Amino acid sequence: MKYNLLIDKETIPLEISPLEEKNLTEIRAGEVSHRVAYKAVSETHLHLVVDGRAVEAFVAKAGDTKHIFVEGRTFLVRDADQMVSSPSRTVSDDIPGDIMPPMPSVVARILVAEGDQVERGQGLVVVSAMKMETTLVAPYNGWVRKINTRAEAKVAPGDTLVEIEKEVGADG
Amino acid sequence: MFKKILIANRGEIAVRIIRTCREMSIRTVAVYSDADENGLHVLEADEAVRIGPPDPSSSYLNINLILQAARDTGAEAIHPGYGFLAENPDFASAVEDAGLVFVGPPSRVIRDLGDKTRARQIMRSAGVPVIPGMLEPTEDVETLCEEASGLGFPVLVKAAAGGGGKGMRIVENPRGMAETCVSAMSEAKKAFGNGELYLEKFLKNTRHIEFQILADQHGHVIHLFERECSIQRRHQKIIEETPSTALSPELRRAMGKAAVSAATASRYVNAGTVEFLLAPSGQFYFLEVNTRLQVEHPITEMTTCLDLVRHQIEIAAGNSLPFGQADITKRGHAIECRIYAEDPSAHFFPSPGPVLLYKEPEGPGVRVDGGIYEGFEVPVEYDPILGKLIVWAEDRKTAVSRMLRALRSYAILGVQTTIPFLADVMESGPFERGETYTRFIETHFSHWSPGRQDSTLAGIAYLIDDLARPLRASATSRVANPPTPWETLGEWRL
Repeated sequence: MKYNLLIDKETIPLEISPLEEKNLTEIRAGEVSHRVAYKAVSETHLHLVVDGRAVEAFVAKAGDTKHIFVEGRTFLVRDADQMVSSPSRTVSDDIPGDIMPPMPSVVARILVAEGDQVERGQGLVVVSAMKMETTLVAPYNGWVRKINTRAEAKVAPGDTLVEIEKEVGADG
Repeated sequence: MFKKILIANRGEIAVRIIRTCREMSIRTVAVYSDADENGLHVLEADEAVRIGPPDPSSSYLNINLILQAARDTGAEAIHPGYGFLAENPDFASAVEDAGLVFVGPPSRVIRDLGDKTRARQIMRSAGVPVIPGMLEPTEDVETLCEEASGLGFPVLVKAAAGGGGKGMRIVENPRGMAETCVSAMSEAKKAFGNGELYLEKFLKNTRHIEFQILADQHGHVIHLFERECSIQRRHQKIIEETPSTALSPELRRAMGKAAVSAATASRYVNAGTVEFLLAPSGQFYFLEVNTRLQVEHPITEMTTCLDLVRHQIEIAAGNSLPFGQADITKRGHAIECRIYAEDPSAHFFPSPGPVLLYKEPEGPGVRVDGGIYEGFEVPVEYDPILGKLIVWAEDRKTAVSRMLRALRSYAILGVQTTIPFLADVMESGPFERGETYTRFIETHFSHWSPGRQDSTLAGIAYLIDDLARPLRASATSRVANPPTPWETLGEWRL
């Protein structure tokens, strides 16, 4: 069976074929084929023997994403073929810039008001997470169309805090 | 000895203190905000008191609420841990005024040393070398800019009430100076309630070396050797070790003596840390005294075999130190790695969220001072420290291999952590050679990203996890009804 796995930001095609023996399988990654023996130790703990090398893996599932720990590293892995295509976050030239917090945080200060003219790089909102303050800045020259938050509000990635209407002809 | 102590803190340090109290048969009271209702310190303490909403100023920084909790539960002493109110002289004096014992130095000492410029004055008069810079703090940006050009760039902007790197900035040239001061002031005001700043000349290629001191109420002052804490991000330590590779026995003696002088000059009582900057020339400068238990205290505990929290409590109860300087020896090498909920590939951005899986490393010479558990939600409101991984071994090389082995088996899923970054530092040439300077991360790891060589293994684990899911159900049912030895013994005769 063929899979396209999105591992962190990279898509890796893998093909899995079960072998005759119990708990043994072959996994092809590109030109390379791996013989994998496995044992489920617990709900989250897998013991793998990949090409004769023992590997402990821990897997926790959250939504359509598996958080995987293997050899001291953690990975976010999703099945790229089963992903519900989420609305594109890419900012094209004519879309107002989205000002989003990079992490779950609390709004510390709002530095602008609706209707304000702003310059590219100008601070708009200061958010604070785990005692560290981050200033979200205007992606280009324009004016503040809408402010969707207030001081002390809890915000998360995906929340547009300030909407900026781009000035015509401004560099983005 | 006290019968009950309130711990005015959260996370790993609260848990750490609770454990020693338990060994001393002292009952413990935890305090918590709404964000920490399920905090590990709440679960481990004998009693827990809710003190307020998540915002630190309405909970862990609220002196009245904490004193009220102490009165309500009949606690006789308050241990502040580190951070929050630990170095707040008003808190220490409020505790004293309430007739309770503050497990730390007297409020007067905290006030003198917490005022970083006052501390510089005390040290200068005691003959302890200080870094060139301002002796009076100010909130006036213009004065700071003038002083900076007087000192010559680069300069270090520091909060007079500072600690933990809050409000601290390096300014390379005059252009960013005013703006940097404003932001540092805001951060300092928020963290310490005092926005005053001062400047020091920024010294290059320095190491951060600190000495642990213990002083009892009867005038005995000793040091417990050094900790090297040069590896920092955002001016916050992330890896510490002892002994330092940079100290000769002579230099260690000289710095230890200066640390004891610093403690004596400030009439210090309880556990404290005298921080120095060590220049490549071997010249050392007084930086500041941290009037509390340090995050990195476990490495000293590992090499001196002393429980610092126990001695803090003994000293606070009025007992004399049971040993003198000559009795203190150190053995082997210890390293601490701080496990933060941060993304090391994105400038150490905080990464709060639910902990989906948590498995600590084990084995010889490995200690975990943790503050989380599987299922815990790491709150956004507080410092991102999840815990500390400490190893001890007979020598530095063995300690480094042991730390690497432990980091590689420390599984935390759900939040990003500093673990893979720390493992790469352990494996790096500069760390192996002991070339640890305060700009180590900027110099060697400024654009760190995790190695991708294992991503195929992650993919394999993903597929096997799907494949093994049905097996797992039967594995669990087997565990539910484990066979007794009588069923599996077979033909053996007993």
